[in-house]
Amino acid sequence: MARAKTPVDPGAAKEAILGYCLKKGALAAGVADLEAINRIAPPGHRPADLMPRVKSVISLGVGGQTQGAWTLPAKAMAYFGSTETRAYGIAYGLSFMIENRYKARSVYCPPDLDNEEGPRVPLQSLKLHAELAGIGARSLAGDILLHPEFGYMYFASVFTELELPPDEPMAENPCPAPSCVELYRKQGRTPCMKFCPAQCLSGSIDAAGRQESMTYEMSKCAELSEQYEALPHILANAMAAGDGPAGSGRAREDVLFDPDHSMFWYKMSVGSGGLLGQCFECMRVCPIATQAPLADPIRRAEARDAAAEDGAT
Amino acid sequence: MTSGRNRRQVGVSEAMIESFGDLIFDWSHNLQVRHGDPIRLRDVAGYEANRVGAGLSDIEIAGRIGLSHQQVTVIRNMVERRRIRTDTYYRLNSLGGGRRYRAEEEAEAEAEAAAGPADDRLAESIRLDPARVRGFVEGGFWAGDTLAGWLDGHARARPDQVAVQDGERALTWRELATRVRDIAGGLRALGLRPGEVVAVQLPNGADYLLAYLAIAAVRAVMTTIYLPYRQREMQALLAHSRAAAFIGLADLKGFDPLDTVAGLQGGLPHLRHVIAAGGASPGRPSLDSLAEDGAAARAQGSRGIEPGQPVGADPLLLLYTSGTTAEPKAVPLTAHMMLGNARLGAAEHGFTAQERVLSLAPFGHLFGLYSFHLALYTGATNVLLPEFSPPGFVAAIAAQRPTALFAAPAHIAACLGGGFLEGQDLSCLRLAILSGAQVSPAIAEGLAARMTAGSVSQLWGMTEMQAGTYTRPGDPLAIAAATAGRPSPGGEIRTVDPDSGAVLPAGAEGELQFRGPGLFAGYHDNPAANEAAFSADGWFRTGDLAVIDTGGNLCLTGRSKDIINRGGVKFNPLDVERLLDAHPKVAQAAIAPVPDPVLGERACAYVVPAGEPPTLEELCAWLTAQGIARTRLPERLEILAEMPMTATRKIIKGRLKPAGT
Repeated sequence: MARAKTPVDPGAAKEAILGYCLKKGALAAGVADLEAINRIAPPGHRPADLMPRVKSVISLGVGGQTQGAWTLPAKAMAYFGSTETRAYGIAYGLSFMIENRYKARSVYCPPDLDNEEGPRVPLQSLKLHAELAGIGARSLAGDILLHPEFGYMYFASVFTELELPPDEPMAENPCPAPSCVELYRKQGRTPCMKFCPAQCLSGSIDAAGRQESMTYEMSKCAELSEQYEALPHILANAMAAGDGPAGSGRAREDVLFDPDHSMFWYKMSVGSGGLLGQCFECMRVCPIATQAPLADPIRRAEARDAAAEDGAT
Repeated sequence: MTSGRNRRQVGVSEAMIESFGDLIFDWSHNLQVRHGDPIRLRDVAGYEANRVGAGLSDIEIAGRIGLSHQQVTVIRNMVERRRIRTDTYYRLNSLGGGRRYRAEEEAEAEAEAAAGPADDRLAESIRLDPARVRGFVEGGFWAGDTLAGWLDGHARARPDQVAVQDGERALTWRELATRVRDIAGGLRALGLRPGEVVAVQLPNGADYLLAYLAIAAVRAVMTTIYLPYRQREMQALLAHSRAAAFIGLADLKGFDPLDTVAGLQGGLPHLRHVIAAGGASPGRPSLDSLAEDGAAARAQGSRGIEPGQPVGADPLLLLYTSGTTAEPKAVPLTAHMMLGNARLGAAEHGFTAQERVLSLAPFGHLFGLYSFHLALYTGATNVLLPEFSPPGFVAAIAAQRPTALFAAPAHIAACLGGGFLEGQDLSCLRLAILSGAQVSPAIAEGLAARMTAGSVSQLWGMTEMQAGTYTRPGDPLAIAAATAGRPSPGGEIRTVDPDSGAVLPAGAEGELQFRGPGLFAGYHDNPAANEAAFSADGWFRTGDLAVIDTGGNLCLTGRSKDIINRGGVKFNPLDVERLLDAHPKVAQAAIAPVPDPVLGERACAYVVPAGEPPTLEELCAWLTAQGIARTRLPERLEILAEMPMTATRKIIKGRLKPAGT
């Protein structure tokens, strides 16, 4: 005899699900409109391509860097900047929670790239989910989504067969911030464009101070941050270098250990999985990423303490 | 990379990287361009407009650009390697993505390894302007069309509709596709590799089409040999094309092409196979035996995997110009160029799958192949007539009721002149397209008068670009009879002053120049010809003289190389030739310049007499009576027993020399 499912109140379920996300450490969460995803994502990259009976897509974001991270030197930032694994952990727990509480099949959406389709092509666009769920908006800094309160976040998604009412995208885009518009008017560049070490960002802002166009040269960005992809090149150069004078092996050694490649070997040793934007310099100078009211854990704590004090009084 | 295959194995030439590299790099996720903020605003139209700028996957790029997925991956990697300071190689196939699985990739790699490396000699020679490639792809002129793709589509969509009607022999689309697949398998088993050239000398029969489709299916390149060609011409073309195989008949009106080519093999190191069409030939492979071999290999194949499928950028044809002025030149043409031109042309001609297409032009000539390309794209039936004769044509009309006719003016002139169309029911003909030589208005009007339910179109094309311009079915007869119409989609024409190169206004006669997505990239292995063939700004110098009217219609007026420069006074002798043709003592006439120490050049009339030879005085008197100026009269006369003609019935003026020179 088939088990009868208890009717679920979608609104209440959504509230409980988003509450779970926040309780587990997410700064923001929302439900993306599945129909909108299907209209925007190309075939092969729609939620149903991964989970045929998906009814809802939940997106959640965790805080980006701690304030301490922004004080690190550039090279160190490349290794300490990533916090996405925390988001995946919450999403993984959330999919369990939904199955356990609502008996609706759920899955944590893998963030993996579909390497068969070319570099940097994700199976599913977590950014698209987040944007449609209203917890981030496209910035002038390439792939980065920004939130007016939480600044720069990492996102994760959960697909579920539970039907939930979708959220709307953000009404306003916080990027560019007024100070960025001001700099653009004076110098033709926003801070992220100006301070990118690889000069991979460019764009324009319209008369109303809104994003008009954005160009992100991902290959330049990769040049700086995707050192791990240089492995074949480094090895090929090392092989071609030969043994050097009198069989000293000096030429090959120079290739393998020269300063250009030192970051690569370091990353190999620590198992870092950096993809793009790993230098974080565009975010270091982004007023939204660093100065949004709740982007700073220290300020969040101060706000929490103040609220507690207000409650106590 | 790509399952261990190198770039040659996946068919990527250096020329291909040059031609497509920048576009692939820009379209991939190397460069993200976004306008506005469409996702947040849920502006789907805006997002679609941003689609390419957001970056496309290799598979999406492959679909748009007409390359295989593996080719795009390899080209992108190569370009990235050159443009990014550190090399970037990407490990592929770590995720199946629901498309191809590792076992299939490996089987494909094995099959390709067994076939040996591709011959990329022709592919390397096709170097394209990347900016124009981008325009062709983005404009939809190149959309990855392949003969194999079209054939498979019809085999699925209309399997039982007749694709080829060759006399009593009929092949449905399903049968055609199966037969082609089997012959292709046989060609592979024979060791034919992608990029190698196969020469075909056959009449317009089903075997011609089977051979062409099978050659293309294995990504080899067809070169055509005209039926009248014999040992000397065949040897020259087989040597120049470095053909690896020859397909022909054992008996061509008493001539044995197979034995002839076999006898030449000792001096043709690249020619490995002589293949019989039209039945078996002892001791040789035939299309039939290849089909059996292919079917057997397919039945025994463990996984049924065939090596890489054709793509739009593949060289498809290596054709030789008919060479009215000089030695033939080799024209390599890709599927992009040929099939995009036909796909877009089909709509212009109003073609549908209900069409029954009859070509009097030989398939060895690009005009004949154009008719086949149109039929293959639309799924129309090809009605075949192996050899033209007026009675045979009339009989084919009555028996097969074609709806679309492709013919040279000479074909129609022969029918009209002999009265063969009198009383014939031509109501089946919806469209007749005339091309191959200058069409006299009288011929177009004569045919139109006998077509009760259709119209006549005139088409101008060359081996170098297939269909260049044509009139459309809705054009008034006055336009269709007097002009070759307007450019094919994406094509452009202009006339320029032959001396200064200045672009001329409408109505002014000048040298005709063409450019467009169907245009070849350059003659193979002939830098001197290429130097002369293209203007500094990349237009093809056709060698024709023309006027473009205010409606954009092309009216050919002669050949620029035929211009006679008499002491600085230049004139086009075409109208004089036409008047000479009408002289009662003249069967055929042509005028060509002869060197003159004083004037530079003088006009010489070359005449094949109809009986008693005319004198120069008689001809000049005749021309003067017709209103020809004294300065344009021929000043010398040469009587010929036979006019030097190309296989497509054009006079070879380059061979007209005064006796004793």
